Amino acid sequence: MTGRERIINIHNNIKTDKIPWVPFAGVHAGKLIGYNATEVLQDADKLYEALMEAHKLYQPDGLPAIFDLQVEAEILGCELAWADQSPPSVKTHPLADTNEILCDCKLPKATDGRIPLITNVMKRLKESIGYETALYGLICGPFTLASHLRGNNIFMDMIMDEEYVKSLMEFCTKVSLKMVDYYVDAGMDVIAVVDPLVSQISPEHYKTLCDEAFSTVFEYTRSKGALSSFFVCGNATRQLEVMCESKPDGISIDENVDIVAAKELTDKHNVVIGGNIPLTTLMLHGTQQDNMKYVVDLIDNISHNNLIIAPGCDMPYNVPFENTVGVQQAIRETDAVRAMVANYEKVDEDIEVDLPDYENLEKPFIETFTLDSESCAACTYMWDAVKKAKEEYGDKIDIIEYKYTEKENIARCVKMGVKNLPSIYVNGKLKWASIIPSKDEFYSTIDNHL
Amino acid sequence: MNILEQISSAVEKGKIQDVETLTQQALDEGTDPKTILDKGLLEGILAIGEKWKRNEVFIPEVLIAAKGMSTGAKILEDKLLEAGVEPKGTVVIGTVKGDLHDIGKNLVTMMVKGAGFNVIDIGVDKPASEFVKAAKENNAKVILVSALLTTTMPYIKNIVEEFEKEGIRDAYTIMAGGAPVTAEYVAECGGDFYTKDAVEAADKVKAIYNS
Repeated sequence: MTGRERIINIHNNIKTDKIPWVPFAGVHAGKLIGYNATEVLQDADKLYEALMEAHKLYQPDGLPAIFDLQVEAEILGCELAWADQSPPSVKTHPLADTNEILCDCKLPKATDGRIPLITNVMKRLKESIGYETALYGLICGPFTLASHLRGNNIFMDMIMDEEYVKSLMEFCTKVSLKMVDYYVDAGMDVIAVVDPLVSQISPEHYKTLCDEAFSTVFEYTRSKGALSSFFVCGNATRQLEVMCESKPDGISIDENVDIVAAKELTDKHNVVIGGNIPLTTLMLHGTQQDNMKYVVDLIDNISHNNLIIAPGCDMPYNVPFENTVGVQQAIRETDAVRAMVANYEKVDEDIEVDLPDYENLEKPFIETFTLDSESCAACTYMWDAVKKAKEEYGDKIDIIEYKYTEKENIARCVKMGVKNLPSIYVNGKLKWASIIPSKDEFYSTIDNHL
Repeated sequence: MNILEQISSAVEKGKIQDVETLTQQALDEGTDPKTILDKGLLEGILAIGEKWKRNEVFIPEVLIAAKGMSTGAKILEDKLLEAGVEPKGTVVIGTVKGDLHDIGKNLVTMMVKGAGFNVIDIGVDKPASEFVKAAKENNAKVILVSALLTTTMPYIKNIVEEFEKEGIRDAYTIMAGGAPVTAEYVAECGGDFYTKDAVEAADKVKAIYNS
């Protein structure tokens, strides 16, 4: 079963062979090849290159083509503040001081703003990976777009001027429908309507002021032959029921919602739920072990129908690559990772590990610590690089792979202080943790040890 | 329901016109302005804050209640000054450099004001030097720092360091919060306290001033 089939099947109540995995590698994809956030969000070639790298390393079932909720706002006149390590923020709100609604003549055209850049990347992704991997087109949800245009006044308007909010939501819905057209036509399988602010309003306000907008967008997406997903951030526990009633095919939540309890509710509505690996405490600041353990525990405590495992929201730029690899491995090889985590937690003191006499080696010794080069893509690439070096240097160097699937190797990792997998050590010293070295860099290091 | 309870209820329900009318009526009836403030307006804002903390109301309801409170407070302003009533203390609040988010900061501002403090809001996207400047100029004791992005939260540390550089770190309590921020992270940055929401922030400020 391909990843794309998994994503499509899970949304259609068809059993999948594995739990689908969708890493929200937005600006983080740029980090993988050294581009900053602004570069990947403003340059089609760089964005495409970054996403292909994320696809190669993280082996996703589904992948967003871009994660930037400011695309529509920028076209509609909001000034943006750009940053190196996060998507831009909206700096000005064109409707902040007026109760007017923008004219329909302002609705985004296919040639406006960054839409051509995005659809260009979408089409290239479709061609290269889109037949095996489900592609997600992310649009800014109509309520969050309304807040971009109006600023924080939108919250007061909800109580003091409901009619204005209704009119503004109508306009923002039309914007969303345009974006659905462009992205579905560019080959997207899933339209994700990302509306973080929905968690900040009452279910009653959602029903009276937002439901019609969201229902319309999801219905329209279905009529275009694509799937729809509703992404929310923050504690949306109270809003989940009304969100389900808008009839998206899926909902994605972050760590502020208890996913096990939430799934009972979404299952009743036959809505797929995605989430909710904690972004900051775990993916950004946790260890690879922490990430693997979290995912295994999640998988062990939740039913697997109607489920997608994903980060809580857009991954922070600096998420360590090995953490995402650990997450992916825990989803793909759950039993093996469960055993790894258990073994790591109670490393067998009885296992004797003899470390080589690194100071007196006859030739450079390249030790590669992997999760398992047969099932973890990143480990495969790293181990391949080492094997290629062996072909090049022949008897001048020694190499070995230690797979984390074996208890002895876990004990070795602990004894050597290996924190991240995959990693390359040369003569007992850590040289590359998670990063696969370039050929020049790698060979130069070997030469220095000859 | 006495008039103070009516004021409190009107604030909580966001009935701005009623807050205005009832506050004026209470003053006209000779009620002590400080009592109107404490037992009417502030009670109302604290009640809505508690509901917000329990996920029973959301941002629109809190903002409208805060508007009601400030409308009532405006009516009392001159009378409170005449009576020599002063804020319980002064705090400085702002969102860190590179970060334009202000809803969280505004909510904390309202709750801390609601707890009876003077709040100097320096705005969003502010460098460390402006936190220090505002703290010195306003004789504040507590600094509240907001950061909503994983990429901007490291700036909390810059702010702590700026106070250290000026040699005045010990004179201030530095608190921080925001969606990605944790207690461990604030401690790592050298800050004093993390609070997870605006109500907790206001409670902590009160506790600091009472200690």
